[in-house]
Amino acid sequence: MKPAQRISGLMEHPFGADYARGTPAPADRALAAFREQARAVFEPQGLPGPRNESWRFTPLRTLAKVPFIPAAAADDVDVAAVPPQIAELPGAARIVLVNGILRADLSDTLDGVELSTTADRALLGHLASAASAPLAALNASFMSQTLSLRVSTRAAKTIHLISIAAAGSQPAAFHPRLLISVNKGASLTLVETHCGLPGQPTLANPVTEIDLAEGASLKRYVQVTEQPDSFHLAATGIALAARSRFEGFHMGLGGALVRQEVNAVMRGTGAALELNGAYALDGHSHHDFTTSIDHHVPGCASNQVFKGVVDGGSHGVYQGRIHVARDAQKTDARQLHKALFLGRGPQIDCKPELEIYADDVQCAHGAATGEIDANHLFYLAARGIDPATARMLLVEAFLADATGRITDENLRAAFTRDIQGWLSRRSLKAAA
Amino acid sequence: MAVTRETAATVKEIEQYKYGFVTDIESDKAPKGLSEDIIRFISAKKNEPDWMLEGRLKAYRHWLTQADEEPAWAKLHYPKIDYQDAYYYAAPKQAKLASLDEVDPKLLETYKKLGIPLLEQQMLAGVAVDAVFDSVSVATTYKKKLEEMGVIFMPISEAVHKHPELVKKYLGSVVPYTDNFFATLNAAVFTDGSFVYIPKGLRCPMELSTYFRINEKNTGQFERTLIIADEGSYVSYLEGCTAPQRDENQLHAAVVELVALDDAEIKYSTVQNWYPGDAQGKGGIYNFVTKRAACRGRNSKVMWTQVETGSAITWKYPSCILQGDNSTGEFYSVAITNNRQQADTGTKMIHLGRNTKSKIISKGISAGHADNTYRGLVRIGAKADNARNYTQCDSLLIGSTCGAHTVPYIETKNPTAHTEHEATTSKISEDQLFYCMQRGMTQEEAVSLIVNGFCKEVLQTLPMEFAVEAQKLVGISLEGSVG
Repeated sequence: MKPAQRISGLMEHPFGADYARGTPAPADRALAAFREQARAVFEPQGLPGPRNESWRFTPLRTLAKVPFIPAAAADDVDVAAVPPQIAELPGAARIVLVNGILRADLSDTLDGVELSTTADRALLGHLASAASAPLAALNASFMSQTLSLRVSTRAAKTIHLISIAAAGSQPAAFHPRLLISVNKGASLTLVETHCGLPGQPTLANPVTEIDLAEGASLKRYVQVTEQPDSFHLAATGIALAARSRFEGFHMGLGGALVRQEVNAVMRGTGAALELNGAYALDGHSHHDFTTSIDHHVPGCASNQVFKGVVDGGSHGVYQGRIHVARDAQKTDARQLHKALFLGRGPQIDCKPELEIYADDVQCAHGAATGEIDANHLFYLAARGIDPATARMLLVEAFLADATGRITDENLRAAFTRDIQGWLSRRSLKAAA
Repeated sequence: MAVTRETAATVKEIEQYKYGFVTDIESDKAPKGLSEDIIRFISAKKNEPDWMLEGRLKAYRHWLTQADEEPAWAKLHYPKIDYQDAYYYAAPKQAKLASLDEVDPKLLETYKKLGIPLLEQQMLAGVAVDAVFDSVSVATTYKKKLEEMGVIFMPISEAVHKHPELVKKYLGSVVPYTDNFFATLNAAVFTDGSFVYIPKGLRCPMELSTYFRINEKNTGQFERTLIIADEGSYVSYLEGCTAPQRDENQLHAAVVELVALDDAEIKYSTVQNWYPGDAQGKGGIYNFVTKRAACRGRNSKVMWTQVETGSAITWKYPSCILQGDNSTGEFYSVAITNNRQQADTGTKMIHLGRNTKSKIISKGISAGHADNTYRGLVRIGAKADNARNYTQCDSLLIGSTCGAHTVPYIETKNPTAHTEHEATTSKISEDQLFYCMQRGMTQEEAVSLIVNGFCKEVLQTLPMEFAVEAQKLVGISLEGSVG
């Protein structure tokens, strides 16, 4: 075996001692110790390089050159400045974070959901540990604020969490941690919008840990629409107890480099996970969806559908891993990634991985890439639809395989509108 | 009770590896270990020209700098290999035989047990055999007939002398000595192998075949095969392997290079049945092979078919570089692992030219405590307009203590390319087994039938002679895996 990392190969990055000094340690001693432990892990390994198998398609060289400083709590940022395409969700209760810090003045009061800025120690670091993932290590080393959400009933209202990145005169980074626990039999629908204000580049590095108790249910829909020169490196750890349900949707529409990493562990029989995603990229946008589903116990199901369209010089990445442990008989695990090229120049990398140690299982994965079928265009043209509209229709239909899996009707419509918005902006650009 | 004892003895005999025997022939061996002196010794033994020795030394010096580059990414677990604890050269003492009558009868006996059609069987089987016994080719048949047609089919050590221009031009042009740890090692110490050149426009009238044999204890075998199909030619090449039983792990690091020029087609089939080690995972061959084909010409085609049933460790990724426009690469694979065997195998299809096509059909069967991994890369370059790829990998698990893994990489840079990948994992259904057994089949027969059906798509692509052997092998390899 090789030595794990060659120290000489370490990338230079801005998250060194100066950066650490800029992020004052939390008053809570236990939290401060937690951060110190994480830094002890992060410092020697640094940012993951191309020799790290999980990062081979997503180089961080560009990010590492940006002179990030810790973002300040920007009290003067007004949500009114948030780009208009962030859809209002009627009837949803808002939680607004600016640079990872809760802005109570902009947030609604919640009903049936406990929200606190004190870390839930029973959860912190358990589902996304510094040792297991470089992103979690980076987050834990400079953790700004921990936000704990505890749901003990069927929450009637959808929660809309809006995380706004706003840099001052210098590129800024922030590392929020969100801890969600859904109690036995309780349920919640959570929408997350990650966006930023124009200006200096930002790096959002949120880490979310989700614990679903027996029979609990969570729908979590995440949209990432960062500024074109901004970065977003997110990691989520999910644990599913018996008969719990998780439905996740991740959408990527903007940002220079975005990685959405989801690691889920099936801990109780009968748990079901649905994890879908859609992306639409142009310019030099790079989006990476990395998922890992661990089937540790028998009788669980997981299903993933990711679809994306790429244009310009963009780069789409999907890496999915399904691990079925020796005892996890009767597992049903599926995975699908399809990507559509809209022009010459973009790149798609895909690695759907199965690792199976049990025999009585149903596991399948599929992957495909291609361009819009000329026959489909012809069919629509023959019906009097102009080529630009026809292409939009076909792209929308292509992504609808993923968006259509959102079970909440209103939110499905909202996410579809976002995609339509992206498409029309793109065609306007093409027309200009 | 005597009957019982007899039965027990018979069963024991059957359980043992069928081809596990050692032929005792005094061999001409280099001392253990690896150094520049050993390489000079090998080169001198082969009476090689200076440029060959220089090439070997260059590779060896590069290998020394690669000490910590031994690939560790595969899903394989084995104790660290001590490269100084192996013999790098062993040759049967008698060489240069005028006719088959002069071949050591013991050796012929060995081949007979293996069922190689070397004597009368040759005519019946219509196979020209370049038999490699340990490291030196001792008998080459059908040479004359092929020679008349302009086909060059000879040990590579001979080709170095007789056709240096071809060897110089193509050796290392597909797998350079810097390619990977094991290929570098091979480039330094390779002892022999086959060289094939098919002239322009010729359809080689017979299957060319080499049986590899690892015989001498502790002899790492480093074969080097080079096949060149000139414009418009066709050749089908068969490679089959069986090895005697022994307890020490043996290293095998072969390199196979194929070059297909304009409109040429190469079909390369392998049945690999080396000693897999015993049920406890003791012994067995370590098989680290680099196989690569360059489809250099327009409309060229390379087809790899492999049936991997042996070896304790298999690390093998027969690949195609599709450079020529309209070139085609195909990969058909059956990998069976039982007991403690581990296989990490797959392919790479690199699409560079326009209208290039590739197809991958991989069937992995895992039983006992074995692990079977498909690892494959499909890369579509920016200029590979209209490239097409279809990949299907299916895994079959027999029993709940084995593992089946799929690790495909799909990298696309061209919008007009279409890639498709599908993979499934399943087990032999109780219903299928019950149905077969109800009709009077034993459980093992039923498993063999079902598994053969599962692999049919691949086995069908094998030449006839191999297809029969392969079907039997599928059954034999899975003996004792059910129940």
